[in-house]
Amino acid sequence: MSGGEAHRVKVVKVLQSALAGNDAVAESLRRRFRAAGVFVVNVIGSPGAGKTSLIARTIERLRGRARVGVLEGDIAGSLDAERVLEAGAHDAVQINTGGQCHLDASMVEQALHQINLENLDLLLIENVGNLICPTHWDLGEDLTVCLVSAAEGHDKPRKYPEIFAKSDAVVLNKIDLMGLSGFDRPEFVRHVRALTEAPLFEVSCRTGEGVAEWGAWLLRGCEKANTSP
Amino acid sequence: MHELAVAAQLLQLVEAEARKAGARRVLAVHLALGENSHINEGALRFHFERLAGWEGLASGAELRFRREPMRFRCHECDADYAPSVGDWRCPGCGRLGKLVDAGDELRVEDIEVEV
Repeated sequence: MSGGEAHRVKVVKVLQSALAGNDAVAESLRRRFRAAGVFVVNVIGSPGAGKTSLIARTIERLRGRARVGVLEGDIAGSLDAERVLEAGAHDAVQINTGGQCHLDASMVEQALHQINLENLDLLLIENVGNLICPTHWDLGEDLTVCLVSAAEGHDKPRKYPEIFAKSDAVVLNKIDLMGLSGFDRPEFVRHVRALTEAPLFEVSCRTGEGVAEWGAWLLRGCEKANTSP
Repeated sequence: MHELAVAAQLLQLVEAEARKAGARRVLAVHLALGENSHINEGALRFHFERLAGWEGLASGAELRFRREPMRFRCHECDADYAPSVGDWRCPGCGRLGKLVDAGDELRVEDIEVEV
């Protein structure tokens, strides 16, 4: 190299997710959840898909069998936390993102100051209503669940494939409205199956149809978490 | 929509890697960006530039993108293909294949630094 002033240009391999900082916080949360024996589920769905309704139904279904805590992510307000407490949640914390379109791991970490994990078997995290932004942000969950409703239309897997592809279960809500909304079920199922082999639960949070199967599946996950070291 | 949050995380990673490498400044960041990552390149550049500031390690660094498509596999034709948006049928036989890669990568491949 000529001259003492010259600077060298060098290429440094990184090969990490751009969200590595969030992922590290999520990993530390995952260890905390495991240590406390709490099974954690991140519920992702559009506004109006029925995330809070599904959580309320799940709590009612699991009453006496699992102590359920809820983190309610929302832009603002505390309506949802009140609703799930009414449904019998053991504990509920509202996380207001102040406009941010998704929850991140540090918001969950903050919220855990207000909740005693030792008193819970299952922690349901309701993400901000959105099928896009929340997909990238690991919250330390055991499972990601994608919730869509028949009223939204059968094209959701085709429009938002990545959330279906990364989910551990897909829940289709409002099946009681299928006939009214022109929802093409075979088309929906075909496209979901092109993306994932994850279980598909078809429910109506209004009538309660299908909630038993969903609840039983969730409970099996919970029991596994509680028996593993 | 969420590019500001992504840019903040990206900057944190880039600066940490640059410091580790003993860099004086970062010249470029190479990103692999899946077509389904829902990241707008212009918006990410905009926020990254502003967060990097005038005097930071990554000030003036250029973000360069390599787009990665969603990939399917057709088991009839035994072939991989990148489907068109919303129509995932195999170009060979017209059947619906199975997803191989969701194309949602958001990965820093490397950084070009001055040492």
